[in-house]
Amino acid sequence: MEKKKRENYLIVLLAGLIMIFLIYIGSTWGNKLKWDFTEENLYRLSSGSINVVKKLNSPLRIKLYYSKTAANKGTEGIRAFNNYFTYVKDLLLEYVGHSRNNLTLEIIDPRPDTGDEENAITYGIRKFNLSETESYFFGMVVENDVGTEKIIEFFDPGEKDKLEYAITKTIYSVARPAKKKIGILSSLPLQSDLNPYLAQMMRMQGKNPPESWAITELLSEFYQIEKIDPMAQEIKGIDVLLVVHPKNFTEKIKWAIDQYVLGGGNLLLLVDPMAVIDRPVNPSAGFSRSSNLPVLMENWGVKLEEGVFVGDKSLAGLGRVTPEAPPAKMLQIVSCDERCTSPYKDITTTGLYDLVFLLPGSLKILDKKAVPILGTTEIGNTFSASEFELNDPIALWHKFSGGEGRVMGVKIMGMFSSAFPKGITVETKKLTGLTRSKREASIIVIADVDFIHHQFAFKETLFGLALANDNANLFLNSVENLSGSTDLLSIRSKGVKKRKFNVIDEIELEADKETAETVTRINASISEAQTELDKLGAQVNEGNLAVIKSQALNKKRELDKRLAFYKGQLREVKRQGREKIENIGRFFQYLNTLLIPLLLIMGGLIYNTIRSRRNAREV
Amino acid sequence: MISNSLKTIFKREVKGYFSTPLGYVFIIIFLFSIGYVTFEPGRGSFFITRSADLSSFFKYIPWLFIFLVPAMAMRLWAEERRTGTIELLLTLPVSIREAVLAKFFAAWFVILLSLLGTFPMLLTVAYLGNPDWGVIFLGYLGSFLLGGAFLAIGSFFSALTKNQVISFILTVGTCYILTMAGSPPILEFLSAVFPKYVVSLFESLSMLNHFDSLSKGLLRFSDIWFYAVMMFGWLVGCGLLLKENKAN
Repeated sequence: MEKKKRENYLIVLLAGLIMIFLIYIGSTWGNKLKWDFTEENLYRLSSGSINVVKKLNSPLRIKLYYSKTAANKGTEGIRAFNNYFTYVKDLLLEYVGHSRNNLTLEIIDPRPDTGDEENAITYGIRKFNLSETESYFFGMVVENDVGTEKIIEFFDPGEKDKLEYAITKTIYSVARPAKKKIGILSSLPLQSDLNPYLAQMMRMQGKNPPESWAITELLSEFYQIEKIDPMAQEIKGIDVLLVVHPKNFTEKIKWAIDQYVLGGGNLLLLVDPMAVIDRPVNPSAGFSRSSNLPVLMENWGVKLEEGVFVGDKSLAGLGRVTPEAPPAKMLQIVSCDERCTSPYKDITTTGLYDLVFLLPGSLKILDKKAVPILGTTEIGNTFSASEFELNDPIALWHKFSGGEGRVMGVKIMGMFSSAFPKGITVETKKLTGLTRSKREASIIVIADVDFIHHQFAFKETLFGLALANDNANLFLNSVENLSGSTDLLSIRSKGVKKRKFNVIDEIELEADKETAETVTRINASISEAQTELDKLGAQVNEGNLAVIKSQALNKKRELDKRLAFYKGQLREVKRQGREKIENIGRFFQYLNTLLIPLLLIMGGLIYNTIRSRRNAREV
Repeated sequence: MISNSLKTIFKREVKGYFSTPLGYVFIIIFLFSIGYVTFEPGRGSFFITRSADLSSFFKYIPWLFIFLVPAMAMRLWAEERRTGTIELLLTLPVSIREAVLAKFFAAWFVILLSLLGTFPMLLTVAYLGNPDWGVIFLGYLGSFLLGGAFLAIGSFFSALTKNQVISFILTVGTCYILTMAGSPPILEFLSAVFPKYVVSLFESLSMLNHFDSLSKGLLRFSDIWFYAVMMFGWLVGCGLLLKENKAN
């Protein structure tokens, strides 16, 4: 009996060990079999990434540095990093799986005072000190046999949406390491022609030499920059063409742009119905600040709506028309947050939540090749206004009516036909060229120029110019995106869609609307009372001073009363909005906490009463 | 094919849950607690995060199950052993395998009913926003499988001892250790004693890691395999213990 008992316990122990072994085998080998149930396909590589690794023709090594041992010594909070490490590792294994044996993955846990730690520091992987003895690394190096290496210095779980793009870009840039060349073609002085020596001389003479725009300086840190002659007949030898504010362009340069795109060249085009920064040296009556390339753009599948600007009351930024005027919400300023970029899930604009545009234009999509990457909210619309009207933001605000949303930026990818199929004639000379695309090209069009000017993209700090918002990032993202391959361009951002409480947002928007109306009424009352007081002030003379003074005091008292009334209204509107939201929250809390338990108690009581009655009857 | 005796015991067990307050108490405590913690006025509260998903709901499921499922499982066999009805059951023309499975499935069915009772949460997110139903479906699947795994562990300990309290404590302890198996402090403790492969073996047993991946919308074979092996293994253990009892 004892022997049998011991045998049985041994079997239980053996079964336990087999169970652990089976689980371990399943966890190690069964990870490759997976199904992604997310709407955004968060756990699958996009076709762009697959193409990039499939096209590799030389071996690359990926070294993933993760301080697992150190992380395990950390707090419970570091579990998020452990989970993110698993996500990154699984994604990298997918890259390796698609690379036809051209990629290898090595996972390194750098321990203190070892060669691995030294290497991680030499590569530039970011180091965090967890304690006096433990350091934490979570980065990646991609290198090839000829010594080219690129790193991701730290995998931030907060940037999960850009992870795939970052990895693919790193692999791509190691596979093609040459510095990219950007051609700039603009009617604005983006790049100064002045020799640095001459500029220095001019400064010494107390003159202000023309300088390149801050954005061009920033661009030159990452790329080789070449100025394109506006009279050129051919554009070649560059990786990306940047056309900014194409104003009064000749047929010849338009033809050159057309041929450049047909040849597979990538283009970033910034057009504007009114570029405020386009200031004439000698102001003249017929000066126009608008730019457009209608024939070419329509041929690519997009059109800039002429003479109208995009406005959105929910995105209106604060500004003032004159330095003396109080700051007010202005339709002219479109201050974008995630609502302008998140819905499009494009890698160029994803994660940019602070963009400022001044009188941007509206882009109409004519062909399905063009996809929006930047837009207003669903209440955005276009408006037209004369220069005079633009100086009266309050009147403009009241005149504006909401629409169904407008597009301010698009990305176009594909093959095109020429906008000049029969060629052009320049000074009696006939120019002919490609009539259809040779290779696929990519174009990004943004309907604003002002956003890259340092006035809107940078701010002065003690240490020089610093980024004021995401404007420069939008510009750099676009250039970077276009300087990669079309595969890289096609990678969509894997942003987890922010699934907002639409109902609550609507209530808040409604309350905001009512608040804005009351604020406008308050402002109108103040300015009305101020005008009356000014009028009274103008009538003052020695004889009527006392009378006017008492009238002014009465007016002031009346105004204070009116203001108190409006402020009360304002509080009431805000309270009502808040209460509505709190009531909804409370309702759902009760619904989810109490409804089913109460129903169950009632159901149970009824069921058991019936049962006991039936039993009693049977007895 | 499901045998008739399995069906009969299953029905008897399910009926047993609802003819006594046990089933109701379990479901009511679960629904009330999950509703309360999901909406509790903390930083991660459903209404404060304002995200039309059920992450703030699913993250509490393992912690509630750690206590509730063992409470339900503790009586599975210990009660039969205490009252002596186990002898009667084992003399019936029913195999131990059928008895173990029937009792397990009946209790698992009650867990399923409790999860179905949270349907107002689905109505809530559908009304408030536009949720990702695929992720929610996997979250429920993960919760159901996790409940099954805890229940299998509970069955094993219930068969091990006559005392329900001991069975409850052992189950809670084991479920807690397996839930926290991927937790850095525990791994650190183990890595000081055991070699690396033992630590990673232990980490692969983490209930929470497997549950996390499901509740984020990724269905991996390894996760399904993990729960299936867990349930199978502990139930086999339970069967062996009962066989041993029967022999005694």
